[in-house]
Amino acid sequence: MTIVETQNLVKRYGDLVALDHLSLEVKEGEIFGLLGPNGSGKSTSLNCILSLLSFDKGEVKIFGKTMKPDAYSIKRNIGIVMQNVAVFDELTVYENIDYFCSLYVPDKKQRKQLVDEAIDFVELGEFRKFYPKKLSGGLLRRLNIACGIAHQPKLIILDEPTVAVDPQSRNKILEGIKQLHKQGATIIYTSHYMEEVEQICTQIVIIDKGRVIASGTKEELKAMISMGEKITVETFSISSDQMTALRRLPGVITAEYADERLVIKSEKETNNLAAVLDFFKNESITFGRIYSELPTLNDVFLEITGKQLRD
Amino acid sequence: MPIFKLCLKIFRKNWSSIGVFLVIFVSLSCIFAFSYSQSSLSKGFTQERAKVALISKEKTPLTEGFRMALAKNADFVTLPDQTEKMQDALFFRKVTYILVIPKGFTKDALNDGTMKMEKRVVPGSAENAYIDSIVRQYWHLATVYAAHEPNLSETQIADHVKRDLSTSTPVVMHDQHAASADSNFITGYFNFVAYGLTIVMIVGIAAVFIVLNRQDINRRIICSPIHSISVNLQIFLAIIIFALFCWTGFSGLGIFLNLKNQITAPIGYYLLNSVVFTLCLSSISYLIGNLVSNRQALSAIANVIGLGSAFLSGAFVPQELMNQTVLKIASFTPTYWYVTANNRIAGLGAGNWAETKSILNDMAIVLAFAVAFLILSLVIGKRRRMYA
Repeated sequence: MTIVETQNLVKRYGDLVALDHLSLEVKEGEIFGLLGPNGSGKSTSLNCILSLLSFDKGEVKIFGKTMKPDAYSIKRNIGIVMQNVAVFDELTVYENIDYFCSLYVPDKKQRKQLVDEAIDFVELGEFRKFYPKKLSGGLLRRLNIACGIAHQPKLIILDEPTVAVDPQSRNKILEGIKQLHKQGATIIYTSHYMEEVEQICTQIVIIDKGRVIASGTKEELKAMISMGEKITVETFSISSDQMTALRRLPGVITAEYADERLVIKSEKETNNLAAVLDFFKNESITFGRIYSELPTLNDVFLEITGKQLRD
Repeated sequence: MPIFKLCLKIFRKNWSSIGVFLVIFVSLSCIFAFSYSQSSLSKGFTQERAKVALISKEKTPLTEGFRMALAKNADFVTLPDQTEKMQDALFFRKVTYILVIPKGFTKDALNDGTMKMEKRVVPGSAENAYIDSIVRQYWHLATVYAAHEPNLSETQIADHVKRDLSTSTPVVMHDQHAASADSNFITGYFNFVAYGLTIVMIVGIAAVFIVLNRQDINRRIICSPIHSISVNLQIFLAIIIFALFCWTGFSGLGIFLNLKNQITAPIGYYLLNSVVFTLCLSSISYLIGNLVSNRQALSAIANVIGLGSAFLSGAFVPQELMNQTVLKIASFTPTYWYVTANNRIAGLGAGNWAETKSILNDMAIVLAFAVAFLILSLVIGKRRRMYA
């Protein structure tokens, strides 16, 4: 069952086309990752999906119904977690979650149970009487998530929920999202951190300049590109002759040296790690770490657009 | 009604910042009330008693009668008939009036009206005027009786004069502004309220809008299944409750401080005027809440608007004493019209429709300000949401 569907969504800001015939389809039970660099149109597309922003052309359907600003029956089943922390400084952790939950659940008894569950879910039990100003950045992000999911919506939209969060809190947030998915929620997750998207998303769409440039599972996306292996060697110096020799190794697409780091990209089904090690040994080049990686979504993005995801 | 409850919670949380203004306002109001209660003591008239030394060198029925007549308004001090002692007594203010009646004075006065009394006074002493008046009155009456009733003995003349001086005419003053002191206090208080109410309303209401207008919080509310009309109604209801609470508090304080005075001024008009002004302040606060996003700046803005408009409009200084140009500038603020209406209410005669109409006109202008600010706020609010 399709939960969210956008068809040919166009949004213009004067001459700037923020969304250029964007079509997305989010199926039930997916963790749908919307990946793109800053300014690619991720937040704009979410705002259009949520009817927070009017669009020039196209259609948005959620749960099979057309989404409009007054589609309150649809809104009832959506939970949103904004990019910035959107909580009240005047209310405690418990009061904040209770307030946002009360926008969806009028029954006090039922709400109390839901709020308690949300607090347990984000592990803020010991901070329930704390005011947001007393919380660290990571805890605030968790509170922000709790406020968005306390009413247990069928569709959860998370707009870069891990921005400026420490690694420990980030892992907790990502684990939480996986748990929500296990509980049956469909999740739309936007980020410009490819590692996160790779880690949790079951379906990924990469967008740039308001257009979909690639979509599929992470495996499908990686299969789209010619690169199969990336070898990185930390070394102090390497001559241009040695670089030329490395580029002649079988299946090597590119070999680049910058910032005391040599990166060799090879074609699919090519394994050059042993050959590179032999080369360094024969040439008596000293090196620090050497490691081989499979292509990342950044490599996918780089190969398709010619630029880095974090540019 | 989650948004309504939230607004009330934010109002409650803001009481600490509002409390500072309230303490200042209540303190100033108490000082204000105390100063009025002190000044109201001088409403009546009490004649001062002079310290008089009466040295009479003869003892006749008329001089004795004169002594008794003088005793009503004088405290007698005994002095020897020595010039130096008399001068000392005047210098050290033991007495302010010394009257020496020479021997044969009564006879001379009754025969040819000659009054050769010796008088020494402290210069510029107000109470001496009363003594002069009694002296003139008593002996003038005595000479009149002696001239027109030559058969009367001195004792009879003294009795007649005593009887005449004992009569008095009750005087009742009927003034349409009889309770002006009371109405002055209540007018002054309600004018002064313009300052306190403006600051409290702006700090209270605008703070709620600053919170609710935060982009991401606003988006969360828009994304919720609560109808936008319901959201607006809940906010509106919370503002009304807050405004009503503030109005009741400020008006109640005024009435309480004025309790010991008679409320003869048309208090209903003052209350109606302040209700209209409170509505206007709600609109202004809504506008400021839509314009200002920094909470720290809010107190400063509230102070500038509250104090500035109160000063310009004559809430602290009577409008009669203010420069016309300043008042013209002030007429672009609702506070000016509110204060003007209060001043008109203070001078309101019984059932004068022309005066009442002027008051209602002033209130209508304040109401027009309220509508204008509300429209402006709604337009700005809509633009903010569009560009959010």
